Amino acid sequence: MDTAQDTGARRTVKLLIVDDSNIVRRRIERSQQFDDLQVVGTAANGLEALELARRTDPDLVTMDLTMPQMDGIECITQLVQMKPEVRILVISALADKATAVEAMERGANGFLNKPFTDRQLNEAIAELMY
Amino acid sequence: MLLSGADRNRRLLTAAAGIVLAAVMGLVLIAGFRLATQIRANVATLQQASELEAYPSAISEQLTALRQRLDTLEYTGHVHGELDSSVRGFNRDFSALERQKGLDPAAMHAATALWTNYTPVLAKVLSYHGEPYSDTATNSSLSRSGRVFYAHVRRAELFAQANAAALHRELAVVSGSLQARTAAAASRLRWLLSGGVLAVLLLGLAAAYLQVARGRGERAARDAQDQTRDILATVREGFFLLDADYRIGAVWSQALTNMFGRSTFAGLTFEELLRDKVPPETLNTAMKFIKLLWGERAHENLMKSINPLGQLEVNMDNGRGGKETRYLQFDFHRVMGPKGVKHVLCAVGDITSSVLLARELHEAQENAHSQLDMMVGMLHSDPLQLGSFLDSASAGLKHINAILKEPARTHAEFSKKLAGLSRELHTMKGEAAALNLMSIAQRVHHLEDMLAELKARNELTGNDFLPLVLKLDELLAHLRGVREMTLKLSSLREQPSAADGTLNTPAPRLPTAGPDELASTLQSLAHRLAQDHGKDFKLALNGLAQCPPAYLGTLKDCLIQMLRNAAVHGIEADEVRRAGAKSGGGQVRVDFRRVESGFELTFEDDGAGLSPETLKEAAVRKKLLSEEQAAQLDNRAALALIFKPGFSTRNEISMDAGRGAGMDVVAKAVYSLGGRIGVSTNPGRYTRFKIALPALGETAVA
Repeated sequence: MDTAQDTGARRTVKLLIVDDSNIVRRRIERSQQFDDLQVVGTAANGLEALELARRTDPDLVTMDLTMPQMDGIECITQLVQMKPEVRILVISALADKATAVEAMERGANGFLNKPFTDRQLNEAIAELMY
Repeated sequence: MLLSGADRNRRLLTAAAGIVLAAVMGLVLIAGFRLATQIRANVATLQQASELEAYPSAISEQLTALRQRLDTLEYTGHVHGELDSSVRGFNRDFSALERQKGLDPAAMHAATALWTNYTPVLAKVLSYHGEPYSDTATNSSLSRSGRVFYAHVRRAELFAQANAAALHRELAVVSGSLQARTAAAASRLRWLLSGGVLAVLLLGLAAAYLQVARGRGERAARDAQDQTRDILATVREGFFLLDADYRIGAVWSQALTNMFGRSTFAGLTFEELLRDKVPPETLNTAMKFIKLLWGERAHENLMKSINPLGQLEVNMDNGRGGKETRYLQFDFHRVMGPKGVKHVLCAVGDITSSVLLARELHEAQENAHSQLDMMVGMLHSDPLQLGSFLDSASAGLKHINAILKEPARTHAEFSKKLAGLSRELHTMKGEAAALNLMSIAQRVHHLEDMLAELKARNELTGNDFLPLVLKLDELLAHLRGVREMTLKLSSLREQPSAADGTLNTPAPRLPTAGPDELASTLQSLAHRLAQDHGKDFKLALNGLAQCPPAYLGTLKDCLIQMLRNAAVHGIEADEVRRAGAKSGGGQVRVDFRRVESGFELTFEDDGAGLSPETLKEAAVRKKLLSEEQAAQLDNRAALALIFKPGFSTRNEISMDAGRGAGMDVVAKAVYSLGGRIGVSTNPGRYTRFKIALPALGETAVA
């Protein structure tokens, strides 16, 4: 992650990973292949995510939908109110399209279905970042 | 798009050509008018000039005539008058000519100079007004003034003879130049008119060309329109454009008519298109999605991946008053304009047949899968356990049949019925699942779903149970298949046994394993029953090892039935037990021992016991006894009613009366071995069955 500091012209993109599964969090953290992407935090639920977002000011958030305490939909709503310019990539196993549409309506910018390949993840991130 | 561009160009060209030609025509006409005016003026001047040419010689002749008359002393008055009017005429015409522009200046100058010299000479002649003759009686002669007059006339005549020709010449030059100018103007006019005619011709040609071109363009446009219409009428997908108000545009493909059962779509909103055909939540999601398509976040791929209308279930009128379910696939493509999204192109396909096909395939796969699972499950499971399950399942189904036949009218009666059914089914499912017979467990699960749906209803009639009966028949057939397969499997290991495969006759005897397997089957059954019915009890088995193999099969059937009864009806729920000051867990004891006369089996549970009065009431209700007969029965005889054929398996299911379900079957089995069965009970304390079996002769030992 430290390599992200010494990239040249392009600004470092700060990434916040939100998922209640540690395995998925690690997976996202390790699978992304961008030099200028810096993971600034990982959260296991919506409340943690909002708190971390307040402190770390991320540019990009990967967001699970089904989480304890505060789910992804609610978290997206509050996150967008707090930081309107943040880009949100929903990563969810929910096959229910209505939820995906709901997430997009609340302000998500992208959607990735679990399970995903490394390539799909990187493409989805690239589409939102650049 | 291309067509309309060419069309616009052609229109511009037509307009430009029209304007240019109109301007040319205007110029030609104005110039022609001016030339014609000029020519007319020139012609008038030319006439003046040619008239003027005649004056010098006329004046000269008049002067000569005047002089001759003076010579011959004739009257001069009228000649003098003619001369005067000639000079006046010349003066008038000449000054008019002088006012004209563009005449030959040298000739005009010379003519003016000559006339200026001429004028005083003539003025002296014209100013004479006296009598030129003095008359006597014999002759006449010139008077004094006549002689002066004569001299003036003579001088003027000489001047005229010297200069008239020159004046005439100069005037001829002037009129010649005037003539040349007029001819030039006329020729200019001719050229101009030729140019005008040419311009008109060109205009006509251009108009004709443009008309032809426009005709060609219009035909092309009409052809293109025809082709578009043909495409839209023929294509099997539904196509239409949505505008920013989510309204359908004027152009849409004919396939939509069949898909949505309406004939016009133009101006319809997307919401109106789907309303009444999909559930409100689906419509809500669909509208949210459509709105997102207009937003900047909507990448085509992203929107494709979250498209909630990829397989939309719609309910359509089938034209015969009923409803029909169809599956439609909506694809959305954004049409970009200079200011963002201009339209959204919707492509709709009817994928009903492929969805149904996929579903059938899936079901067939599941089926094959579950059959394979079942085979594997059967191969892996203990044949004894399998047999035990099948026995208990058929007993359960008989029970279910009995429950279904129980008449019911009130809601309470129906509820009771449903409760009994679900208990049986739940047990069966648990047992099947424990043996990994998933195909059976799934079928039972489906039945449970149907029951749950019935339970949720407020009003019930007997007809509501019909679908259940159909499903039960299916389950019965399936169980029969499993039993047959079990027999085939077992025949691979042991000698074949006869099987007639129907459930109404006694079940084909399955190969029986030893007493150890029987014990484990009973224990696992007890465990499952305890779990399924929320009971807490222990099963203690003693002396089963002493059971001769010839009795083992019957013994197993009997024990399973009695164990089921004890678990379901005998042992009370925990709360009831605690209220009755009983120890926490229930006890079911089975003792098998050798006795002098043969063998004795005791089956005892410390449950609720049997109520002779309830049994009697049940027997009366089932018309097995009259009220009088019932009243005469003592407790012993009343208890024995549970062994009476038809008491339990026919209609006896109601849970309050309900002990001893299937005990007639047990009794029949015992009797068939030459044994006896008895029951004793203490309500609230225990129920105890005793079965006595005769000793086996040497020959009877298998």
